[in-house]
Amino acid sequence: MTLTATSFDWVRALVHKESAIVLQPGKEYLVEARLLPIARQLGMPDVSQFVESVRTRPDPDKTRQIVEALTTNETSWFRDGDPFTALTSTVMPALLAARGPNERLQIWSAACSSGQEPYTIAMLLEDSLPNAATRVAITATDLSREMVERTKAGRFSQLEVNRGLPAPMLVRHFTRAGTEWEVSPTLRRMVSASECNLAAPLPRLGPFDVVYLRNVLIYFDLPTKQAILRRVRDLMRPDGWLFLGAAETTLGVDDSWERVVIGRSSAYRPLKGA
Amino acid sequence: MSTVDTGERRRAADGRPVITELIDEATVQSIAEDAWTALVGEDEFLVPVPGELPADALSSWVDVVGPWTGSVVLTTARETAADLTRALLGDHAPDELEDEDVADAFGEIANVVGGNVKAALPGPSGLSLPDVGDAPAVRNPADVCRLDVLWRGQPLTISVQGALPPLPGAQPHNEGAIPALPENGASL
Amino acid sequence: MRALVIDDSRAMRRIVSGTLENLGFEVNQAGDGREGLDVLADGWVPDLVTVDWNMPVMDGLQFVSAVRANPAYRAMTIMMVTSESEHTQIVRALAAGAHEYVIKPFTADALRDKLALLGLLPQEAAL
Repeated sequence: MTLTATSFDWVRALVHKESAIVLQPGKEYLVEARLLPIARQLGMPDVSQFVESVRTRPDPDKTRQIVEALTTNETSWFRDGDPFTALTSTVMPALLAARGPNERLQIWSAACSSGQEPYTIAMLLEDSLPNAATRVAITATDLSREMVERTKAGRFSQLEVNRGLPAPMLVRHFTRAGTEWEVSPTLRRMVSASECNLAAPLPRLGPFDVVYLRNVLIYFDLPTKQAILRRVRDLMRPDGWLFLGAAETTLGVDDSWERVVIGRSSAYRPLKGA
Repeated sequence: MSTVDTGERRRAADGRPVITELIDEATVQSIAEDAWTALVGEDEFLVPVPGELPADALSSWVDVVGPWTGSVVLTTARETAADLTRALLGDHAPDELEDEDVADAFGEIANVVGGNVKAALPGPSGLSLPDVGDAPAVRNPADVCRLDVLWRGQPLTISVQGALPPLPGAQPHNEGAIPALPENGASL
Repeated sequence: MRALVIDDSRAMRRIVSGTLENLGFEVNQAGDGREGLDVLADGWVPDLVTVDWNMPVMDGLQFVSAVRANPAYRAMTIMMVTSESEHTQIVRALAAGAHEYVIKPFTADALRDKLALLGLLPQEAAL
């Protein structure tokens, strides 16, 4: 069965709301092609049934999968590079000054997808700190087991490394592995990946000095957003730093955070006593 | 001494691997799919089903020269090559396609597929400019990795094929001494 | 902003030029490195050059070296756009003076991401 008009319109509206990307009429084939692997994985016979099941029984996890499958920008390395610039310009110097020389800094990439974000962080630190591998540990988590496995493998296709990864960083940190590119063992040792559902009680992680929680909150309703922010805050050091997606904020959601402007991006820090 | 041929002994002896030891059809297909998705269109799929090519099919290819030397050859019907050209050019396609347009676009696809095949092989290797016409002859049937696909229902083959004839006595299970040939990778 | 697109395939020139024009570039084209140098010598100096590697007459690597040897072209950003995708080849291109490297096949999004990295896009267009 091909995609019904109702299903297509619902997907269009969803993608527009979450990403501001407009799917023109006539792009039904694109929706079919991108969502078919997800439908199959869930044991659904076709895309229409999959979309109908999510439309009638809202599910943030599946909603996120749909939006991500249709917004290819999600997998770009330095997409919206400002939160990474802020890490090396402001956050790391402040943390290194505040911590003892033998304290290991803990960074959390809380929706790591196929690994671009944690390895971007690892590359930046490896290039700017003389002893990054012993000074910093990066925890990468994702809801999807497949994404966690991909992050652990640290292998990326040609098309993936073409997406916003600076060529000097590609040649410095990756080697060819057949048709793919593999991150260096040093970077892989800095990153440990595991499954984690942010919408449920969190495992004992951290405490974290820096958390990247980008493009996650947009998929949840207000009470869930509040619960996630509270749980994340519980896993952070009191002087830690939280980065959200460019279209996300704690303002009007949870008032126990202080917004700090760093260059062209913003970070959020736990308010004392809140 | 074992007489089982693992490929290792043969490689070590003659210094000249055949393509099936270096790349498989699945790898060639993933390279071709990436090229099709990015260049031809994101809803363009290659279905791994063989079809019958017409006698006057058109080929485009690039040569790879290095530890392995041969060609990456795309072959399809002339009309399919023209359709590929229109898809590649999209909005920029002229109303009337000339032979030169097809040769250029079909050659560029061979260049893109060939460059990525080359990168998946042991290097360093050189890559030639693309050529279009009748496919180069297969010199050694054991030195071919061939993928048959359908694009929009039309047959197309991608053949990664060696440029050199078989070595005398290089058959598997051959117990005799294999004469050492000069390394052909020196041409780069 | 101006861009010079150098590739021996006119199909590829059209694809790259089309993407750059959609992003607001004024585009000129050349079929090999020598023709590219001629465009520059005529006084049409762009902000960005995209250049293929394997071309007749003068290849992309020779073009990059020639441009880098001329101080008048110092402000120009050079991006290789080629199917040459071995690790050593990318290192060679960067060492010769290319700023960025896009591997064929690429999507319009990939080209746009790289331009954003190079600061050749307004921030709004980069997202």
